[in-house]
Amino acid sequence: MGHDIFEITVNGIKLVLIFLLMVQAVPMLVWLERRGSAFIQNRFGPNRVGPLGLLQLGADAIKFLTKENFVPTSAKKALFYAAPVFALIPGAVAFSAIPMATPVYIEAFEMFGQNWGPYRFLVQGYEIGVGIVFILGVSSLAAYTILMAGWGSGNKFSLMGALRASAQTISYELALGLSIVGVIMMFGTFNLTEMINAQQGPLTFKWMEYTVTANWLPNWGIFFQPLGALLFFTATFAESNRLPFDLAEGESELVAGFHTEYGGFKMNLFFIGEYAHMMIASGLMTVFFFGGYSIPYFSVADVQAWALSVTQSEMSASILSALLHFLSFNIKFGFFLWTFIWVRWTLPRFRYDQLMDLGWKTMLPWALANTIITAFIIYFATI
Amino acid sequence: MTADAFLFWFLAIVTLGSGLSVILLSNPIYSALSLAMTMVGISALFVTLNAYFIAGVQLIVYAGAVMVLFVMVIMLFDLKSDTVAFAKGKFTGALKVASVGLLAGLVVAAIDLSKGLIGVKDGENHLVALGDMEATKSLGRILFQKYVFGFEALGVLLLVIAVGAVSLARSKGGTHEH
Repeated sequence: MGHDIFEITVNGIKLVLIFLLMVQAVPMLVWLERRGSAFIQNRFGPNRVGPLGLLQLGADAIKFLTKENFVPTSAKKALFYAAPVFALIPGAVAFSAIPMATPVYIEAFEMFGQNWGPYRFLVQGYEIGVGIVFILGVSSLAAYTILMAGWGSGNKFSLMGALRASAQTISYELALGLSIVGVIMMFGTFNLTEMINAQQGPLTFKWMEYTVTANWLPNWGIFFQPLGALLFFTATFAESNRLPFDLAEGESELVAGFHTEYGGFKMNLFFIGEYAHMMIASGLMTVFFFGGYSIPYFSVADVQAWALSVTQSEMSASILSALLHFLSFNIKFGFFLWTFIWVRWTLPRFRYDQLMDLGWKTMLPWALANTIITAFIIYFATI
Repeated sequence: MTADAFLFWFLAIVTLGSGLSVILLSNPIYSALSLAMTMVGISALFVTLNAYFIAGVQLIVYAGAVMVLFVMVIMLFDLKSDTVAFAKGKFTGALKVASVGLLAGLVVAAIDLSKGLIGVKDGENHLVALGDMEATKSLGRILFQKYVFGFEALGVLLLVIAVGAVSLARSKGGTHEH
């Protein structure tokens, strides 16, 4: 956490801030989803409450908070209450591990008659050496919350929805995990920051003793792992239970799946959990395949040198470069979040057997093939 | 007490507490959920030992996949009659006594064998010295070069178990009888 009280405090506040950032993004995404779906379906969407319907979010929040707290008589109370709370944990913990900008450097200063610093703060909740293994591990725990909710509700529709949802999550976890093995082998690291550092500069292929450079393209992972990127992004749709894979809900068959019995704020917590999974997926997509927070055509070192020449101070230069990179990260991040919404209102839902066929018989073999081909290419390219 | 020691005791108590509730709770679903909690606790203990990769794999494989399947299967059964059959009767009583004996033997043997191991800490954590990726690489080398036979044999063993389970379920009196 840190070496002295100041560093520990700042790191603690940072954790809270990132959690709030995640939670606060949800109403905006909900608004975007409703307006976006209306735009795609040639409707108006919410446009009565406030300008552009923006105050609808506040109205929704008040409605969620003031609804009656209802527990079915057949429910297992402990599990029923615990499930929505647990639904937030995997998302929040995993999202905090994604790097969002270059570190901020704070010069030594004096406060309360003591000397502090210098410090270097990362713009992420915490850095973990095996970043990606940790994120996958933590977000795989989300299946429990679904099962707890479904079984705890004491309702057959809920249980069926929960079984479907968790079976889907486990099945697609395999394809998800295998699709990024190629990325891990290519970059030779689990660390997300090191992956971003490896994607600087123009596109450079190395094959035996030849080196091909394409100046007009950034050195992004997607040009090396297009199949991996496609498989990864598809699997994350299934992981976050979004259309076209939202079999967990299946209103036409299961009422509302595992959260049939949930209303008000408890339902809202599940909602935030689902959006948190979308955010983790978008963040990882950005980091693995689209250069993370780096700005295309300008490497991180370039931007930092430019910021230093403008501000003439190491501390403000690091803050400026962190802001620029944070903006760049958010543009890419926002694009993938929009893609989630876009796909949801464009594609119809799969049938359950089609879903399982796609996961086990199509995506898993392709992900395995991608792994093996990548391994061969890396082996021959580095001979 | 240092932060490390506090973390260790906290995690140890959580892990042991949830481990105990696996066997003390009578409802199999709560037992299975406690077992999942135990796995998470063990994974966190691996983190305090700086074995990050093992911790992550423990989460993904055991807590994230294997236990979820357990919980799913248990939820599908109507367990009221099974709970009674499992909790009462002479046969289960004999089984319980036998398991207590086995556990006692295990504990005694573990204490006996670990004499001299406990309390010796040379201060050097070899995994830290290697770094995350290097530690994972050396783990891979050990698994796929030195112990490749044992590793593959375990894989075959799992396959045998899967085939055996399917054939048991399909045989006479099984759940998927033809």
